[in-house]
Amino acid sequence: MSWLARVVEAWQDDDVAVAAVEGEIDSSNVGEIAERVRAMVTNRSMALVVDLAETTYIDSAGINLLFTLGAELKDRQQRMLLVVAPGSGIARMLSITGLDAEVPTHPTREAALAAAG
Amino acid sequence: MTRSPSPAELAPIIAAVPTDESVLAALQRVTDSALAFMSEDDLLAELLARISEILGTDTAAILLLDESGELLRARAAKGIEEEVEQRVTIPVGKGFAGRIVAQRRAIVIDDIDKADIYNPILRQKGIRSMLGVPLVSEGRVLGVLHVGTLTPRRFTDEDRDLLQRAGDRAALAIDHAQLYFAERAARQQLEALQQVTDAALAYLSQEELLNELLDRISAILRSDTAAILMLEEGGRLLRARAAKGIEEEVEQRVAIPIGKGFAGRIAAESRAIVIEDVDHADIANPILREKGIRSMLGVPLLIEGRVLGVLHVGTLTPRHFTEEDRDLLQHAADRAALAIEHAQLSEQRRLAEALQRRLLPRRIAGIPGVEVATRYMPASDSLGGDWYDAFALGPGRIVLAVGDVVGHGLGAAAIMAQLRTALRAYAIDGHPPGEVVERVNRLMWQLGPTAMTTLAYLVVDPMGESIDLVTAGHPPPLVIGPDGEAGYLPLTGGVALGVTPTARYTAVPHALRLGSTVMLYTDGLVESRVQPIDTGLERLRGLASGSFDPEALCDAVTADLVPERPADDIAMIVARLPAVPERLTGTWPADKDVLGDVRMLLRRWLRARGASEEEAYDILVASQEACANAVEHAYGPGVRSFDLDARYEAGLVTVTVRDHGHWRPPRGTNRGRGLPMMEALMERVDVAHTDKGTVVVLERHLTRKAA
Repeated sequence: MSWLARVVEAWQDDDVAVAAVEGEIDSSNVGEIAERVRAMVTNRSMALVVDLAETTYIDSAGINLLFTLGAELKDRQQRMLLVVAPGSGIARMLSITGLDAEVPTHPTREAALAAAG
Repeated sequence: MTRSPSPAELAPIIAAVPTDESVLAALQRVTDSALAFMSEDDLLAELLARISEILGTDTAAILLLDESGELLRARAAKGIEEEVEQRVTIPVGKGFAGRIVAQRRAIVIDDIDKADIYNPILRQKGIRSMLGVPLVSEGRVLGVLHVGTLTPRRFTDEDRDLLQRAGDRAALAIDHAQLYFAERAARQQLEALQQVTDAALAYLSQEELLNELLDRISAILRSDTAAILMLEEGGRLLRARAAKGIEEEVEQRVAIPIGKGFAGRIAAESRAIVIEDVDHADIANPILREKGIRSMLGVPLLIEGRVLGVLHVGTLTPRHFTEEDRDLLQHAADRAALAIEHAQLSEQRRLAEALQRRLLPRRIAGIPGVEVATRYMPASDSLGGDWYDAFALGPGRIVLAVGDVVGHGLGAAAIMAQLRTALRAYAIDGHPPGEVVERVNRLMWQLGPTAMTTLAYLVVDPMGESIDLVTAGHPPPLVIGPDGEAGYLPLTGGVALGVTPTARYTAVPHALRLGSTVMLYTDGLVESRVQPIDTGLERLRGLASGSFDPEALCDAVTADLVPERPADDIAMIVARLPAVPERLTGTWPADKDVLGDVRMLLRRWLRARGASEEEAYDILVASQEACANAVEHAYGPGVRSFDLDARYEAGLVTVTVRDHGHWRPPRGTNRGRGLPMMEALMERVDVAHTDKGTVVVLERHLTRKAA
């Protein structure tokens, strides 16, 4: 993984995967991030929480990934939830692109996990 | 040895005692200067030819006493060449020649049939009458000169006196010639010995060196075999390292315990040993017997009394090794030992230097917004343990580290390698600076008591305009502010790494404003035997004041503070956060991997223009989308580039991204969000496709004035 970002993995009760992306997501590292996050989701997973609270930058490549992931999970009757700090640049990107209308977003990880459970 | 006169120089002596005119003329003709260049054999033959001509005889012969003084050996003959060919020897006292020597007087035989003749060849050749005289030089009998006729002849007293005079002169010539040639042989041996180690050897690898030494040594001693065994580390075994004539020794990696057998005893007793008869000797190595070696001579390879190994030579025929042979081999071994020691040291040094060079990063993988320069200068005659490293850490930060590993050579270089790897691993793993150093410290402690290093560890954050510093037994970093004023950062108080496993290290943050420079260095730069560290620190501070370019600073410091032959090695690393330009322009390769770098520069530029966090973020995303389009859509595979130009005028930020290709339409679902995002984030987005490429112009006003 390039030094731009790293994915910190966590699970809750085996059926909710939490992928926290720390750093910056752009077209140079979006492929690696996609691979890491997809690998966390198994058939038994009920939901995937993508935690963007520590994400400092996201461009259209990253937004595209989130749209795609959301659609993939939906096809498998799995849910995706996002954690985004309100008022952050990330939140603005989600709003501009309409991603926040497609995927439920929560201000904290706890809130997202509560909603996932 | 003083030089003795050559035969040519003896010519006047011989000529000075004439008997009659014809003899004088004949002798003068014989002893001309041409004689000087003759070997002993040629000289004797020439003398015989002259003598038998003077006396009108059919045969002439010279027999010389051997080393023992008990045997006469035919050395030269005329008319009876068989004497020499058959290597005739005659005991002193026996027969014609033997009696001449024993009685030291001339003997005349008128009729050979009636005489006591030891040598059958004389009769076989049909010699009838003989006259012989002793060859005496300076009272010492060298041998016999005799002449003979195939017809009966009564040699007169006059003949006898003439032969004796000729014999005396011949003896003198022979004696001097022997001395001359002995001296020449000795000189050649000396020259050969000097060749054992000449300048050419300096360029050989150790293996080539050993083989070359053996070739030369066995040539000098005329031995059939030669071998070098070196003492193994630990000092209990000798291992065959090079061999000539007994190559199996090396191939089979023969090892001889110290004290055992021939070589083992030479090493244990540190003295030469001669084995006259291998069959009846204590030999540890069966290869020597199997190869049919009969006699051996071995000497220790010594450096300042310390045994380095053993050098031995052997012959396939029995040989009596003389004291001279032993001295010669020991001389050769002494020279060989020096050459081997030198080769070993320089090989080890070469290896350690190569290792150290590889450990020091050749090119610093830079990060945008930080200019880095590094220097490493080895000590003039020893290998130091200084090292440095610099690497990017996460988005937009760079680690600079400098240290001095205790010790020298390969051991220190190995410690350095582990240290550097561990430091990088812990840092990239995301540990905070103090913890990185603590972890490395614990690792160093585990590596053993010799693993110690000083360290200055610095994390530079150009965006935050700050640094985190940890020092461990290391001199203080120097900071040069944007105004050119230089000063030292306070030490953070840690002890050197590897001293105690429980040492705590704390990172201390410092501001590093744009336009500032920070310098790490090792103590060799500021401290020496002739300069206390305070003086060195003050000189460095003075030199660095007003310096803004890292490379120039390194050059200036090197020129002024580094002696021509530094006693200690020196490492330095300088990093500068350049001031943000008014207008940001640049050309980058069309590669996704540069997007992060461009973002970093643009972010700093926007902040310097006074953009709010939100404005900066929006402009950044829009600009990056334009750059990403240039990278992703403008070109097929190959090396291409794009230009970025950001300027700020009257509250308006204008970012222009220009590529030189043709945008392909977006492919796949969930693509093509770039342009809508740009339009959402900026006040104006203008995309112009032309034959020469695509130009994207982005505009947005800032709500507050530049700071």
